[in-house]
Amino acid sequence: MIGVKEVEEPKKQIPLVGTLKAMMVVGKHLFQKPVTVQYPEVRPEIPDRFKFRISLSLDDCVGCTLCEQVCPNLSIHMNKVERENQRNKRKIYPDVNFGTCTVCRNCEEICPTDAIYLTHEFETARTRNSFTYSPEELSMPEEEVIK
Amino acid sequence: MNVLTHIAQFFSPLGHYISYILAYLFETIFFIAFVMVVLVMMIYLFRKYMARLQLRIGPNRVGKFGLLQLIADSLKLVGKESILPRKRDDFPYKVAPVVVFLGLVLALALLPYGDFFYIGSLTITHSGVSVILLFAAIAIMPVGELLAGVSSSNKYAVMGALRGVAKDVSFEIPMMISVLALVMMASGRTSSPLNLESLVSTQYIPYGIPEVIGLFVFFIAMIARASYSPFDMGESDSELVSGHSTEYTGMRFGLFYMGMFGSIFLGSMMVSLLYLGGYNGPFSSDAGFVYLLIKTMILVVISFTIWLSLPRIRIDKFVNMGWKYLLPISVINLIIAGFLTLGVGLL
Repeated sequence: MIGVKEVEEPKKQIPLVGTLKAMMVVGKHLFQKPVTVQYPEVRPEIPDRFKFRISLSLDDCVGCTLCEQVCPNLSIHMNKVERENQRNKRKIYPDVNFGTCTVCRNCEEICPTDAIYLTHEFETARTRNSFTYSPEELSMPEEEVIK
Repeated sequence: MNVLTHIAQFFSPLGHYISYILAYLFETIFFIAFVMVVLVMMIYLFRKYMARLQLRIGPNRVGKFGLLQLIADSLKLVGKESILPRKRDDFPYKVAPVVVFLGLVLALALLPYGDFFYIGSLTITHSGVSVILLFAAIAIMPVGELLAGVSSSNKYAVMGALRGVAKDVSFEIPMMISVLALVMMASGRTSSPLNLESLVSTQYIPYGIPEVIGLFVFFIAMIARASYSPFDMGESDSELVSGHSTEYTGMRFGLFYMGMFGSIFLGSMMVSLLYLGGYNGPFSSDAGFVYLLIKTMILVVISFTIWLSLPRIRIDKFVNMGWKYLLPISVINLIIAGFLTLGVGLL
């Protein structure tokens, strides 16, 4: 026999008690600290595993084009840079378009020599139309890049 | 001594008539400035308070602590293009925001403000029947809202206006009955109970203590009068776009907005005058206005907390509440007031 369970009706509350409870809950928030971070003046604390800006060490890059091949949205292209490097005979280095980069970190993982890696910097806003960082710009720290 | 005589004394070298004409003019200017300062302060306070309750910071960029934000906002509103609906009923459409604002200013002009140090009495109107005048002035504001809703020929605006009327009808009778109880109580002690000043000055014990029910009914009525959440059926912004003010832009909308905040202030001031003792207190001949302002601001903060914490109730539920609960409660309150006046006599 299938047991039928009667659904109990909820108890009727005394009027206004719920209202006062709601007001108490809202009023308590007055004494908590605001969560807003006033960004340009106050910097938020960045978590340790947060990565954004791609950097490149030109001496380590061997020009294997693996990063270009693995990039899912074709943000990386290889560029010719006139530079003496015994390990990079073809003299090709990656550039990165941050306009389309989704920070998937595939390039960092695939790089055989750890030449391409991600850093904590995230302020890559530019006044120019192009979001592409040339290999030289990738090798510089963010502050030195002319934006 | 009050403001008028002070200003007239200042202009007295110009002769009796001219000095009084100038005094009336300057008193009006001072009063309008006071109303504007109050409105700006209320909106600033609301925005800051709402931000803090939502764990935000609120306006803090324009001026120190964002104090000039409201001036910037009102300048923006004035500078905005006024977009008028094509099928509007022109005269009522344009006059409606002014009617709302006028009702607010009139009602504020009728309140007694108490004394403030060497300025003396700040009360503007000295009328024998200022209670009746006050409630007549308050009744002007819904007329403006109805005009706005009907004349802008928009279905949301009409719905908002109709809801607003249903709301007004259901709370105004309990409100008037609870005020009647007050007048009854005051009539035991003074010969002119319809005068707000004498009604306030008879509160040796604030009327809110023997008439807790009346205070409750009147405060609910004042919340509904200012039409903010939970009783903002007139402009329920998730159902009707913005209720009666849907078709308004620029400063015309700003007048509706300021009228709403002004009526919160007005309602808090009326509750504190009628039920919480108003400007009575130690040294009230010097600092009466300060007492009144403190009581008002506490009530304003309570009103804001109610606004920010409660959801809107359905219109039929509110009408039910008005007729089935508030009206009987206010009649019971009237009976209690009668017993207190005749039976106890002292209270």
